Amino acid sequence: MDLGLFIDGLVNILQINTLLLIIAGVIGGIMIGALPGLTATMGVALLVPFTFGLPVEQGVSMLLGIFCGAMYGGSISAILIRTPGTPSAAATLLDGYPLAQKGEAGRALSMSIFASFCGGMISFIMMVILSPQISKFALNFSAPEYFALAVFGLSIIISVSGNSVLKGIMAGVFGLMIASIGLDPVSGFPRFTFGFMNLFEGPPFIPTLIGLFAFSEVFKGVEKIVTQAKVEAKITRLLPSRADIKKCWKTIVKSSILGSFIGSIPGAGGDIAAFVGYSEAKRTSKNPENFGKGEIQGVAAAEAGNNGCTGGAMIPLLSLGVPGDAVTAVLLGAFIMQGIRPGPLLYRDHIDVVYSIFAGLMIANICLLICGLLGIRFFARIISINRNILLPVIFVLSIVGSYAMRNSLFDVWFALLFGIIGYFMQRYDFPASPILLALILGPMAESNLRRALIVSQGDYSVFITRPICAVLLFLALLSLITSTIRQLRLQKKMRQEASL
Amino acid sequence: MKKLVAILLIGFLVLFMAGCGQSDAPKQGEAQQPEEKKIDFPTKPVTMIVPWAAGGGTDAVARGLSKAAEEFLGQTITVNNITGGGGAVGFGSGLSAQPDGYTVTMITFELISLPPQGLVPFTYKDYDLLMRVNMDPAALTVHKDAPYNTLEEFIQYAKENPGKISVGNSGPGSVWHIAAGLFAEKAGIELNNVPYDGAAPAVTALVGNHIGAVTVSPAEVQGQVEAGDLKMLAVMSEERLANFPDVPTFKELGYDVAFGTWRGLAVPKGTPEEVRTILADAFKKAYDTETFQTFAKNSGLGLAYLNADDFKAYLDQASVDVAEVMKALGLAK
Repeated sequence: MDLGLFIDGLVNILQINTLLLIIAGVIGGIMIGALPGLTATMGVALLVPFTFGLPVEQGVSMLLGIFCGAMYGGSISAILIRTPGTPSAAATLLDGYPLAQKGEAGRALSMSIFASFCGGMISFIMMVILSPQISKFALNFSAPEYFALAVFGLSIIISVSGNSVLKGIMAGVFGLMIASIGLDPVSGFPRFTFGFMNLFEGPPFIPTLIGLFAFSEVFKGVEKIVTQAKVEAKITRLLPSRADIKKCWKTIVKSSILGSFIGSIPGAGGDIAAFVGYSEAKRTSKNPENFGKGEIQGVAAAEAGNNGCTGGAMIPLLSLGVPGDAVTAVLLGAFIMQGIRPGPLLYRDHIDVVYSIFAGLMIANICLLICGLLGIRFFARIISINRNILLPVIFVLSIVGSYAMRNSLFDVWFALLFGIIGYFMQRYDFPASPILLALILGPMAESNLRRALIVSQGDYSVFITRPICAVLLFLALLSLITSTIRQLRLQKKMRQEASL
Repeated sequence: MKKLVAILLIGFLVLFMAGCGQSDAPKQGEAQQPEEKKIDFPTKPVTMIVPWAAGGGTDAVARGLSKAAEEFLGQTITVNNITGGGGAVGFGSGLSAQPDGYTVTMITFELISLPPQGLVPFTYKDYDLLMRVNMDPAALTVHKDAPYNTLEEFIQYAKENPGKISVGNSGPGSVWHIAAGLFAEKAGIELNNVPYDGAAPAVTALVGNHIGAVTVSPAEVQGQVEAGDLKMLAVMSEERLANFPDVPTFKELGYDVAFGTWRGLAVPKGTPEEVRTILADAFKKAYDTETFQTFAKNSGLGLAYLNADDFKAYLDQASVDVAEVMKALGLAK
C-alpha cells in the first residue's frame, strides 16, 4: 500500500461534513441493525439515493458507516431481548442473552462493541494489505468449493447443539427439510409451495428468524410475566475489563481473520462468519461447557466474525468488481451511479477513490467504537423495563419486523407459526440455532452440489480432485467427529454433575 | 428514567414504520393538473408497486422515474417494494389493486416467463399497458483465455464439442437462461446451461474461469470486459451498443437473435382511458427529463421507450418466442 495516498485519502475524509455524515451513518446503521426485520442491506439500499448528490468519497463513506453500524447493531437486540436484529447477530445471542439474564448486559454489550471494532479494524488492515492476494484466492471458489464450505458450516450444528447432540441433529434436519421449500434451484419446479407464490423463493428467512427467537421468547415470557423478577443491568464501565480483554483477545483476532476471509468469498456473509468464528472459539476453549450459558468469549467470537466481514466483503468488490455479499451488491450499484465502476481498472483510474474508501472504512470503525460505547448505558436500560411493558413491545416490534422485509402479511403469519414451533422447541429443550444454520446453508449446499455436477457433466470426482474443496470436506469430517466426541463427553460430565 | 426508555422505544417504533416504506405521503388538498381534463385525476398520492427489492436495478429505475413524474402528476408517488416469487407476488398484488389508476405496477420480463412455467394464474394480458421504459440485450461473453475469439469460432467449437461449453445464467427460467436457449436453438448447437443465483455469481464464476461463457447484459460484465478479464463476442441487440462499438450484433453475423430483458409500466385491466392517458403522459414527460436521461446513462440502462400500443405488439411477439424457447429448454409445461 502507498502511505502517501492513504494520508491523502485520510485528509479527504477528515473534514467536518464528511465526519458528520459518517457519524450519522453509523448511528443510523446501529438503529437499523438493532431493529429486527431491518437489515444492513435495506439500510444501505434506502440511503443510496440520498448519496447521489454527494461527492463519491462522502457518499460511500456514509454507506460504509451504515454497513459497520448495522453489523454491530444487530447484537444489541440479540443480547438484550433475544431477537437477532440482523441474521449476522444470530450467533451472538447464544451467549449474549444468557449473560444479560445474569445481569451482565453491560459486560456483553461492551465486549460486543469492542470485538466489532477489532473485527472491523483487522479486516480493514487485511483489505488494505492483502487485497490482490485474497481476491485471487476467492476466485478459486467455484460450485464444488461452495458446496464444501456449506457442508463444513453444517458440521457446526453439533457444537451449537446445547445439551443433546441428538436433539441438535433433529433440529438441523428439520431446518434442512424446511429449506427445501420453494422453486427448485435448477429446474424451477415448485416444491412444497402449496400454491403460495410467497414461498417460491423458499421460507422467508427474517420472519423465520424472528419467529424462532423473538416470538417464542414472548410466548415463554407470558407464562411468567407476573412471577419473574426484573433483571437489573449493572453498568460499571464502558470498555470491557482488562481481564475480559485478556481472555478474549486471541479469540477476537482469530475470528476477525476468519471473518475477513469468509466475507471475501462472494456469496458467504456475516451470518456464516459469525457461526464459524463461534464454533472455532468453542472448539479451542478450555471450558467449552460454558458456551451457550453466557460465555463472554462466545460474544466476542461472533461479533468479531461478523464485523470482520465488512472489510472482507469490500475486497472482491473493489478489486474484481464482484460483490462479496448483499450489502456490497447494493454498494456496487451506488458506485456505478456515481460514474465509478469497481474492478481491476478502479486501481488504475481512480486510485484516489480507492484510498479514500480505505480511509472512510477506518474512520467508520472508529466512529462505531465511540458511538457504541457511548450508547451502552442507553441500550442496556431496555432490559430493566418492567416485563409486562417490555413483552408487548417486543411482540409489536416482531410483527412489524416480519412485515417490513417484503411488505407482506403472509410473512407475519409465517413468523407466528415459527414462534409457536420455537416455543415448543424451547419447552422441550431443542436448540433453535441448528434450524437457522440449516436454513442459511442448506440451499447453498444443495444448489452448489447440483451446479458442480452440471458443470462436471455428472462427474463426482471434482469434489476430491480440487484441492480447496477436498481440504474443506476433510475439515468438515474432522469437525464432525471431534465435536461429536467432545459434545458427548461434555454431556456425560454434565449428567454426572447433575446426579451429584 | 423509565420515561426516557419509553420515549426511546417509541422512537424506535416510529423509525421502524418509516423504514417500511409504508409511511403515508403528505396529502395535498388540491390536485394541480398539468392540463385541463374532463376527469379529475389524480386527487391523491399514487402508489407504484415494484416487484423487486429496494436497491436493485428495477427499484432504481422505478424510483428515478417516479421522482421525475411527481412534478407532472402534481401528486406524490410512493414506491412500494412487494417482492417474492421471482416477481410473481408483486405482479399479483398489482393486478388485484383497484383499476382506478392510483396503483401503477412496474412490470418486468418475468411477467412473460412465469406463465409458461405454469407458476402464476395471470399473464401480461390482464394488465393495461402504459409504456415500455428500457430494454437491455443479452451479450455472449467469455473468459479472456478462451480458445475462441469470435462468435463463429465459438459456434464451431460448440459444434465439435456438443454440450461441453458451460454457460452461466441468472437462474432457471430467468431471462439470461432463455437468451442462451434461444442462441443455441438459432445456431443449432448444444450448450450446458448452469443456473446461478443471479447474474453477479455467474459473472464471478466466469472471471474465475470455472465456466465457459455467460449470456447476461453488457452492463453486468462491463467492468471486467474493460479490464480485459473477459471478452464480449456478440450482443443480441438490433444495433451495436454505444458503450461497445466494436462488439458485433448477432444479426449482422447472420443469426436472427434479438433478445433481452425489459421493464415497463402497467395498470390493472379496466382502468379508464382518460386516466391511462394522464399517467402515460406524465411518465413519458418524466422519461424525457434530463435528470432521468442522465441517471439512465450513468447506470448503463438501455432506454427503449415504446408507447402502449407498440409495447403490446412487442409483448405479443416476445411472449410467444419465450414460451417456445422455454419448452425447448424443458422449463415450460
